Amino acid sequence: MEKHATLDTKGLMCPMPIVNLAKKVKEMKSGQILELIADDVGAKEDVPAWCSRTGNTLLSVEEEGKILRFYIKLK
Amino acid sequence: MAEKFCMVVSEGSFDKAMMPLMMGTTAASMGMEVHVFYTFFGLKLLKKNAKPKLPGIMRFFTGMMVGKMKKLNIPSIDEMMKQAKELGVKFYACSTSMSMMGIKESELIDGAKVLGASAFLNMAFDSKLTLFIG
Repeated sequence: MEKHATLDTKGLMCPMPIVNLAKKVKEMKSGQILELIADDVGAKEDVPAWCSRTGNTLLSVEEEGKILRFYIKLK
Repeated sequence: MAEKFCMVVSEGSFDKAMMPLMMGTTAASMGMEVHVFYTFFGLKLLKKNAKPKLPGIMRFFTGMMVGKMKKLNIPSIDEMMKQAKELGVKFYACSTSMSMMGIKESELIDGAKVLGASAFLNMAFDSKLTLFIG
């Protein structure tokens, strides 16, 4: 998928993937797509919750083993 | 304006130190305005260089927990506090608890504000979510 930046949070546990995600988004522009990589099991529910709360769009989620890849379109 | 989220922390153990910081950093990352009020034994957590221990008999195993968290790459209390401050989480000390616990304002972490119950309740009334950690 097309993306403008990647944030790799492998090895980090809740709440750090979300805290780092929020920081990363601040550096990016509206309409850009961020790829977020996580292996925290909680991320599967946390990232969609963060997106719906903050008004960003979760385009898709890919799962390969323990690795989750989220594609988020910024508002 | 951002929606408000208030927490009250009434216990001073290691777990009660971590929980509001984890919830607070997450909520701030979700765009909420976060206010944490420390009262009774919770106030000890707002002291500079606070080194809380696990509750009860578990206190002897605090070092093991700290070591395990480090191994798992979980930030320490000090690191979480730093993150929370960077994200704009606000910290408050209960004025009556300060007298009860014999804690002076100069002993509190930088940025902590001293409040009474009515000032905190005023914030809680306007908040979307309030949690009690104790």
